[in-house]
Amino acid sequence: MQDKISFSQVLGSLKAVLGKLEEKRKELDRLDSPIGDGDHGRTISNAFQKLTPLFESSEEDIGVLLKKVGRTLALSAGAAAGPLYGTAFMEAGKVVEGKKEIDLGDMVKMAQAFEEGIKRRGKAEVGEKTMLDTVHPAVESLKKSLSENLSLEDALKNMKEEAKRGMESTKDLISQRGRSSRLGERTRGHIDPGAASCYYIIEAMVDFLLSS
Amino acid sequence: MKKFINDPNKVVDEMLEGFLAAHSDVVEKLPTSRVVVRKGAPFKGKVGLVTGGGSGHKPAFIGYVGDGLVDAVAVGDIFSSPSAQQIYEAIKAVDSGKGVLCMLGNYSGDIMNFDMAVEMARDDGLKVEQVIVNDDVGSAPKDKMENRRGVVGEVILWKVAGAKAKEGASLEELKETAEKTIFNTRSMGVAHTPCTVPTAGEPTFTLGENEMEIGVGHHGEPGVKRMPMKSADETTQMLMEKILEDLPFKSGDEVIVNVNGLGATPLLELYIVYRKVHEILKDSNIKVHRAYVGEYFTSLEMGGFSITLTKLDKELKRLIDAPARAPLFVQM
Repeated sequence: MQDKISFSQVLGSLKAVLGKLEEKRKELDRLDSPIGDGDHGRTISNAFQKLTPLFESSEEDIGVLLKKVGRTLALSAGAAAGPLYGTAFMEAGKVVEGKKEIDLGDMVKMAQAFEEGIKRRGKAEVGEKTMLDTVHPAVESLKKSLSENLSLEDALKNMKEEAKRGMESTKDLISQRGRSSRLGERTRGHIDPGAASCYYIIEAMVDFLLSS
Repeated sequence: MKKFINDPNKVVDEMLEGFLAAHSDVVEKLPTSRVVVRKGAPFKGKVGLVTGGGSGHKPAFIGYVGDGLVDAVAVGDIFSSPSAQQIYEAIKAVDSGKGVLCMLGNYSGDIMNFDMAVEMARDDGLKVEQVIVNDDVGSAPKDKMENRRGVVGEVILWKVAGAKAKEGASLEELKETAEKTIFNTRSMGVAHTPCTVPTAGEPTFTLGENEMEIGVGHHGEPGVKRMPMKSADETTQMLMEKILEDLPFKSGDEVIVNVNGLGATPLLELYIVYRKVHEILKDSNIKVHRAYVGEYFTSLEMGGFSITLTKLDKELKRLIDAPARAPLFVQM
């Protein structure tokens, strides 16, 4: 794999996310049942399906594309996922505006902006059993890979692994955000559905990039 | 899953088509967005009232769009917040220049989408305020009130705010009265049978044949305690104790009572529940100013009920007694 990611690869990785979320719809609904209302898979998949019209985009600007993705999710997707991912993608898009390709350094900046966007909109912190518990270790892993001069390929592999670890870490946590927070101790022992869907999004993007 | 539907993915849109066709004398849909508005909105000299949330709660939310109630509802998917864009368009549609009050339940999705919509409307120069309902005693302890869900308290708020707005109150006055109403309202629910979200196809939780759960949320969120089924009187007693001690409601208070079916509990049972509520209040020397018994805020076909009490003062009494007329709520 090369050390840069092209516009068409970004587009392809977003399409891969839509496919992955559709595939995981039932599984995510089931994860949401014991600690939520059993609709996370449907909600998150429907939210990302709203992106389909953007993929006709002809303007080769990764920043503009991601901002459009964010704006669409934030304004029209609804549920909790819409504003959270929407703000995250808008922030990530802002830091790479005008770019046709991105390197590991750009990715670190985007990932940090993505994380900040979620924190700002959801007013959540790491360790509260949310999607942030997947995002944060993924971002830290990318930063580490950059400082150690790893290849883009290795950086992506590591990021996916750390995101997975983060997602799994939510099993032992007690929810402090959103609908499940009312259940307190009863949330322990269950992986957070938002952390899980967030991992699948990262997994779909990384797998696509590694294979393209 | 046994339901009289056509396509699980189209239940909200098809329901809305039927609703609009049946009540076209009172309500209409915005052409560009899934928002139900009162015909003739915006109304000159009146603060606009907007609410919104997930679908599956009939008669809430759209059944309360009408005279003396709310002006617009942003309609979400089943149990899922409407988008910020929908809420923004609802706000714009009912603003007469006097401002808009948004009323929502305390759910993270609704809060984020309303926040974004309000930011956008304020950027346009509109005067917009929000109030968040959190009346469900069963959803968090009193020291974590900010985590409590909004349930039937929303209906009480729409009635009170609708009457106040009709009197010509300013946005600031309206917000103050709305906050007082929320502060004075407490609810608690119980369920013995879950509901099934059409697209999920499976019940949102399971309960044993002879089990019930106290504190279940309006979307099937797990409650605080499971136990063997009890009689109407015993169950009502349990819920009332929690409600009364929480505010607390005291001897000499005047209240309105709402006994609400969650979708599959007949009026017959709701009146048996109300009988006990009335007796408990009488014994506590709390005067019932008005009682509502029926389905006001359901959870699809969930089996169970909730009890809501609002402590009244002179102003709230006047507002709750004012006439109102909407497709699914009429008070003479």
